[in-house]
Amino acid sequence: MADVVIQATNLSKELTSSLLRRKVRILSGLNLKVARGETFGLIGPNGAGKTTSIKLMLGLMRPTEGAAEILGMPAGDKKALAQLGYLPENPYFYSHLTGREFLDFAGQLFGIEKKERSERAQELTKLVGLTEAADTQMRKYSKGMLQRLGIAQSLINRPQLIFWDEPMSGLDPIGRKDVRQILFHLKEKGTTIFFNSHLLPDVNEVCDRVGVMNRGQLIVQEDVKNISQGGSYKDLEDFFLEVIAKAEAGAEARS
Amino acid sequence: MTGNSGNIDGKQAGPKVFEPVWAIALNTFRETVRDRILYALILFAAIVTVLGIVLGSLSVGQDIRILKDIGLAAISFIGGIIAVFAGTNLVYKEVERRTIYLIFTKPVSGWQFVLGKYIGLCLCVAVMVAAMGAFLIFVITAASGSAGFAEQLRQMGQELALIYLELLFVTALATFFSTFSTPVMSVLFTLAIWLAGHLGDSLIELGKLTQNPVISQFLSVIFYCLPDFAGLTRIRGHLLYGTVPGIEVLTYLVTYVFAYVLMLLVLAAIVTERKEYT
Repeated sequence: MADVVIQATNLSKELTSSLLRRKVRILSGLNLKVARGETFGLIGPNGAGKTTSIKLMLGLMRPTEGAAEILGMPAGDKKALAQLGYLPENPYFYSHLTGREFLDFAGQLFGIEKKERSERAQELTKLVGLTEAADTQMRKYSKGMLQRLGIAQSLINRPQLIFWDEPMSGLDPIGRKDVRQILFHLKEKGTTIFFNSHLLPDVNEVCDRVGVMNRGQLIVQEDVKNISQGGSYKDLEDFFLEVIAKAEAGAEARS
Repeated sequence: MTGNSGNIDGKQAGPKVFEPVWAIALNTFRETVRDRILYALILFAAIVTVLGIVLGSLSVGQDIRILKDIGLAAISFIGGIIAVFAGTNLVYKEVERRTIYLIFTKPVSGWQFVLGKYIGLCLCVAVMVAAMGAFLIFVITAASGSAGFAEQLRQMGQELALIYLELLFVTALATFFSTFSTPVMSVLFTLAIWLAGHLGDSLIELGKLTQNPVISQFLSVIFYCLPDFAGLTRIRGHLLYGTVPGIEVLTYLVTYVFAYVLMLLVLAAIVTERKEYT
């Protein structure tokens, strides 16, 4: 694979439950490579380890075993963080700020000049359809508007690589269509995209490759083209349900 | 859109290092100032000052002194309440609301975050102290009729500066505790140390009274570890009676406070940097 920008090697994470001090393994041996310009979708049931994988790749959490490299640098490296954008799941922002103030704040954290920040805020509010609400305090935003603003802030530094955790969450069909268009626009520009989603039709439409996670393990990776054109599965949803069913059956047999 | 970030190589040379610090400080300042609780506290200060006028009118010849005493005590108390309650929520709230994810997935270090939060709150406390101080001086000027606003400002400016110095200290304590503790526990820890710092001299006296060298030594160690708020209060007392301490005392005091604040912020930054955000 040429020019790998995301590489996870045996990435694993254990958490200690606070009550019984019992160790719980929430991610086991994740091995993954994503090439520059690729759009990779990570799918799986709730609690499968998708968000944990992203947090480990971004350095918000430290692995118990293994390692992750982003743009050839260790996870959490400030040089790598300067070149990526992140949208958390169900994003919470500073409700006292307006949308424009928040984008300006995000730009300042990247050290972007004031004039440039202002231009990018203008451009991004337009891109995500928040021009009219840009000067409204975020406490008055709907969930969908917050999601759109989250997308905008993740693009303020014009990143080479984006990590979006459930980008379609809270959006109505029009919002989802808008986000898909933004994703296509970013793909055209050569941005590498890594995202988690439960909305399989969107993943199917946008992604080049998908990974399916279950119970903290990446159980399969496949090109979206192969799934839809291989003839074995009706669509991505059919593929996903079958893969999960097999994995669950295997897990039950082992226990 | 690709490959044109503001700070593409992640290097933060020169003033750029402080850009995130200033952004976080300004955001913290805005958040605290836009919080309506502050307006209630300003109102409270006004009520206390008016109360001072009433009390002052009941005591012949001492009205201005009583007004000053009550007014400054109110400013110190209210400033302290802001520092403790806003400070203990500083970092904790960012983690609880998960806004911290947005900070630490950008090229921001733990020390930049902690310093930004601290400076933001200190700015807010400075505005509050200045607003309350200006109000108090205005009331005293109006009540005394003799000295003008500028003269009252000259007389009370140093006392207000000392109050602010103490509040810088309290804010640093609250910030430090907020990096690893819940707001309730942080409030308790901060208030306990604030109070104990005011009773520092009593620890030495207690040590002498016990006549046990081990306990006496132990209490001395605690005395030297605790922030010396009692020292600040002593100097404020001198100022209230018109005695201005020498420059060496003031230099020592400022150096002491800043060294202690720096130590607390370094510890807070280390805790923040080592923490995982699950």
